[in-house]
Amino acid sequence: MRVESLELSNFRNYAALRFEPPEGACILVGPNAQGKSNVLEALALLALGKSFRAVRESDLIRFDAPLASVSARVRTRAGGATAGCVITRAGDGARKRFLRNGRSVRYGDFLGSITAVTFVPADLALVTGPASLRRRLLNAALSQLDRSYYHDLSAYVKLIEQKNAFLKSPDAGDRTLLTTYNAQIGQTGARLIGARTNYLRKLAHDARTAHARWVGGHDELEVRYLPSPPQEAQTPDAIRAALDDALARAAPGEIARRMALVGPHRDDIGLNLHGRSLARYGSQGQQRTAVLALKAAEYSLAYASAGEAPLLLLDDVLSELDEQRRHAFLASLAGFEQAFITATHLSDVALDTPHRVIRVQAGELIGDARHAIGA
Amino acid sequence: MDHLAGPLSALIGELEKLPTVGPKTAARLAFYLLSGSREDAQALADAIVAVKDKIRFCKRCFSLTEGDECSICLDARRDPTLICVVGEAKDVYAVERAMAFNGRYHVLGGLISPMEGIGVGQLHVKELLDRLGPENVKEVIIATNPNAEGESTALYLHRLIEPTGVKVTRLAYGLPIGGELDYADETTLARALEGRRAL
Repeated sequence: MRVESLELSNFRNYAALRFEPPEGACILVGPNAQGKSNVLEALALLALGKSFRAVRESDLIRFDAPLASVSARVRTRAGGATAGCVITRAGDGARKRFLRNGRSVRYGDFLGSITAVTFVPADLALVTGPASLRRRLLNAALSQLDRSYYHDLSAYVKLIEQKNAFLKSPDAGDRTLLTTYNAQIGQTGARLIGARTNYLRKLAHDARTAHARWVGGHDELEVRYLPSPPQEAQTPDAIRAALDDALARAAPGEIARRMALVGPHRDDIGLNLHGRSLARYGSQGQQRTAVLALKAAEYSLAYASAGEAPLLLLDDVLSELDEQRRHAFLASLAGFEQAFITATHLSDVALDTPHRVIRVQAGELIGDARHAIGA
Repeated sequence: MDHLAGPLSALIGELEKLPTVGPKTAARLAFYLLSGSREDAQALADAIVAVKDKIRFCKRCFSLTEGDECSICLDARRDPTLICVVGEAKDVYAVERAMAFNGRYHVLGGLISPMEGIGVGQLHVKELLDRLGPENVKEVIIATNPNAEGESTALYLHRLIEPTGVKVTRLAYGLPIGGELDYADETTLARALEGRRAL
């Protein structure tokens, strides 16, 4: 898929921007704090429904403006479409409204209008960082592939928030309410575990293949799903039974510690090399190669599932990679239709495939000599 | 709005506090009221104050009433063995509009939501259980909203009432009448499939 045009209004530091990105790789270059990542953030907002940064959504709106809007015209195998998001200040926070072909739609119906794989500096800690990073990869990928996953995930998150608030409240002794929440968590959580089990089986295969291609067959990368509660069940009924059982057994501990301790909100992905934990025993180089293998696998699965290349959004990560890894990684993504890459210096990217360079300066995009792009 | 006369900007400020009313609508309404007669303005003001002074909760079902009990609870033609449980008093009027229910109501006064500090104790749950025996209730129909809190509340009430032997039912999930199938969202359609019935 490709973005034919992107329009921003009062988004971050852009008062008004109309950008017609080229096909292929587009490198946004400029010093820090000029607005390079904001362009990627806008595209990610349309794909994921939220920013890839951990931010308050009202921060997306330009200082003093009442609302911000992002709108893109995209071309997919299925034809052309427009996708937009309007962010309005509401109290201390912000409200988002999604538009598809100019019509207001619910987020659940909007998902999938644009598919993107993002790679941001925080992803570099995928191996060594907290489990929440690895769950975020799963959630971003699966929500774009499968709308029902997104619905289940939002329902599940809400249930866990309610259950945690309940366990901290004076009513925490009400076992009937606890079993009510657990019944709902069991039903929704089991569907999440089922979807993650399937996805991880494919992710493990593709990551292992990419990894083996880069380092040779002797260092086998093992990617394993570590669900909470630990279980090997494969059928929906067996997964549900294992989760229900674990929730029932966890109840006394959950009441004592006043928080939800069991369920897919505590899932993780195990990453081993030679059967040894990469996070604990791997060298920095081995850890980084594993991160690239995971992102390359995420990309290939998104490609296979949509039947066309997703957008590739690489925010300031290529400069973190040595030349050999950068080449290996980019070569594994062969077949992308459109990639957006940010870098402080052009030399950090050093693409040997055709690309366009766009300089970003104080919220304006300046194309390379031949193409001036108005802000 | 410093350029507006004080009372006018105060009215706009009050109207803006209302749900679904933004600053533009508030200004429009304020100018409309200003252009109307004094009697109309007085009638509106009186009506607003009257609901605050005269409306109370029905002591049986916690719906809104002027007396001790609401007109539905007092209506001898309604079947007292059927109770329809709703979250808010406004939901009574929604179900009444359908003209398809001939029992009595029970208003919980909200839905269970610990995140918002609403626990079972804040709702009229105990009062519902206390009605089951004396009113010889045969069926409790739970008509809470089809969202997360409504669902939790419904399941919770079901677990509480089931042991008493009273039948507990929940409104069906389905497709809007007159709508088109391909416009229905996936979740609604999936629930409608689960709840399908033999023709």
